[in-house]
Amino acid sequence: MKLNSREENSVVILEPKGKIMGGPDATAMHEMLHDLVEHGKKQVVIDLGGVDWMNSTGLGILISSLTTMRNNDGYLKLANVTEKIESLLTITKLVTVFETYDSTSEAVNSFSE
Amino acid sequence: MKNLEKELIIPSSQENLTDADEFIESNLEELGIDKSLVADIAITSTELINNAILHGNKGDPEKRVKIRLAVKNETVRIDIIDQGDGFDPTSVPDPLAKENLLKEVGRGIFIVKSLVDSLEFDQEPGWGTRATLTKNLSDNN
Repeated sequence: MKLNSREENSVVILEPKGKIMGGPDATAMHEMLHDLVEHGKKQVVIDLGGVDWMNSTGLGILISSLTTMRNNDGYLKLANVTEKIESLLTITKLVTVFETYDSTSEAVNSFSE
Repeated sequence: MKNLEKELIIPSSQENLTDADEFIESNLEELGIDKSLVADIAITSTELINNAILHGNKGDPEKRVKIRLAVKNETVRIDIIDQGDGFDPTSVPDPLAKENLLKEVGRGIFIVKSLVDSLEFDQEPGWGTRATLTKNLSDNN
């Protein structure tokens, strides 16, 4: 998994690319989130459009990221959730936990509402 | 569809997950299997391989994980075999229970059962636990 990041209207957009299946993937995202928290970033969108698929490790990374942000008075939303990931979020009931948006711009704008 | 039977043995480390995934996906794609089905099989296989590495073999890179891939009569069968002491699948807590929903782990077996036709656990002679998933390809046509 590759992990890019950019900022738009004070919202950090994380862009993982590839497959999220375990091992070093979790560490990379974990370190990125903690780095953001240390720099006072409280609004994060994870753009999942470039993720081919993920297994439960990927779901665990999303949950860990959400918890990290919440514990630091921040929030995390998901954008561009593919059909494959949407089905995993649904069967695991995590669709009730995450806010999801069809595009990163919609997700970014939701922080202003 | 052509029949297939192949085997891969990897050191028990998550650094080898990508190789294991490539082994499974490339062989299935060569048979012309639908990409979405290949993804489901890759998701579930890597779940079981992670379990073999982390739980079965307790993260010991000196141990091995065996991956057996077979396609016959429009059915994919994958065996993931570790060198551990055994596993009780009934001991896994319900990941849908309210108290478990925000846990970072514990939903792998549930996801596998949701995406494949069958999942069974047994002992492999000379090894440890064998997790076997089957996925019927013709159901999805």
